[in-house]
Amino acid sequence: MVNLDDLKKEAHRILEENKVKYIIGYSQGSNGFPAVPAFIRNPEDSDNLIWNPACIHNLTRFLRDEKKRKAREKHPDNRPVGIIVKGCDSRAINVLLQENYITREDVFILGVSCEDTGVIDEKKLAKKLMGKMALSFDWDGNRNLVVTTKNGEIKINADEVLAERCLECPAQSPVVYDILFGDKVKRSPETRFESVEKIEKLSTEERWAFWKEQFDKCIRCYACRSVCPMCYCDECVVDTISFAVTADTTAEEKAQKIKWIDKSPVPSETFFYHMVRAIHLAGRCIDCGECERVCPLDIPIRFLNKKLEKEAKNLFDYEVGFDPNQLSLVSSFKDEDPEDFIR
Amino acid sequence: MAEEFEPKIVAFLCKWCSSAGSDLAGVSRMQYPSNVVPITVMCSGSVSPLYILSAFNKGADGVLVSGCHPGDCHYIKGNYYARRRIALVKELLEFTGLEPERFQMSWVSAAEGKKYTEIIKDFVKILKPLGPQKKLGRSQ
Repeated sequence: MVNLDDLKKEAHRILEENKVKYIIGYSQGSNGFPAVPAFIRNPEDSDNLIWNPACIHNLTRFLRDEKKRKAREKHPDNRPVGIIVKGCDSRAINVLLQENYITREDVFILGVSCEDTGVIDEKKLAKKLMGKMALSFDWDGNRNLVVTTKNGEIKINADEVLAERCLECPAQSPVVYDILFGDKVKRSPETRFESVEKIEKLSTEERWAFWKEQFDKCIRCYACRSVCPMCYCDECVVDTISFAVTADTTAEEKAQKIKWIDKSPVPSETFFYHMVRAIHLAGRCIDCGECERVCPLDIPIRFLNKKLEKEAKNLFDYEVGFDPNQLSLVSSFKDEDPEDFIR
Repeated sequence: MAEEFEPKIVAFLCKWCSSAGSDLAGVSRMQYPSNVVPITVMCSGSVSPLYILSAFNKGADGVLVSGCHPGDCHYIKGNYYARRRIALVKELLEFTGLEPERFQMSWVSAAEGKKYTEIIKDFVKILKPLGPQKKLGRSQ
């Protein structure tokens, strides 16, 4: 079990010793669930830190903001940023390191292990609570979630409330860290790609019907892109903002800036957007499930990434986020890569 | 009388092998269907997944990516990168419900004009019964 007091103490220490600029962690949300990201600058405030199954966010997303902020500063503070990461988030850090987006000196990693559990799925929990407001959460050590509400405690089995990605997680403890809280575990669940296989079993037409219905809902708010720690490009291929055609735009400029995709949320363009998003995350997505969580229309975007994760594993034996020194999926190859689909 | 459906194929051919192969088919006067729109690219490895999606988006019924045989790449290893990337795109498109037959890849060397014509003939034969591709096409 993660000892919260140790975490607070350690956070207090590194802030006091000026080892870090600030710590990105979790603090109690005003509505009980979920926890909210917290930015702790004063050692005294480290008491606000929490760690419980309601800490669902992937905080590595804020490293992107930090990097952009630092680039604008005249005299940047080069101390590292303290960050609290779960197993999945630590793999995100590994991918960012692999891509040289950040360096290891930029971050001071406080790893917390999910051990044999994980974090809660908001919707599954809401069904269980049936309108009651949750005050606090904890695991009882037996894979049961104990939720304290105003009308007493509720005990729920972990498998019923855990987020789907946590049930399919290949490593629940951080793979890169400076200090680790909790036990180091590595398991390989048999059900690692179960959710994807459910869709794969359908026929081509059924699959299309499924995705058509899902993509039809999309309003192109780009929340999935904004929340993704890997979507850090300054200019995105789906943005048409960077393609402003004015009276003095020359033909040459127009030719150089191809408009790949239309802004309007019609099915064909939305499909294009989601395909581009999925392909750009091939071999980079660490399955933190944030894209799906923030989707206001509940599109199961995670399946697309998970599918590519599965193929990377099956076809190319590529595992994402465990080794910051490996070459990325699409910028490497092996002689024995499958080519049975090629004529 | 209703006209028979003629599929539109967009073929991304690498400059050094496949494009030369299609040229050979042309100068040797080999007969093959005129359904294909060849686009010469510098290397099959330079074919971005965006090109493929964009072709479907703009109404292609089938897309072909063709490059040099493994080991023959003008840029030494471009086709190996392509092989990996195209495999992923293919899996993804199938996963979302596009007919897998609509997207193909082939190795055609500069000497294989005959193979090129056969690939196109077979591709057209496969695409005809499938009918027009409406799934990914931009709705007018």
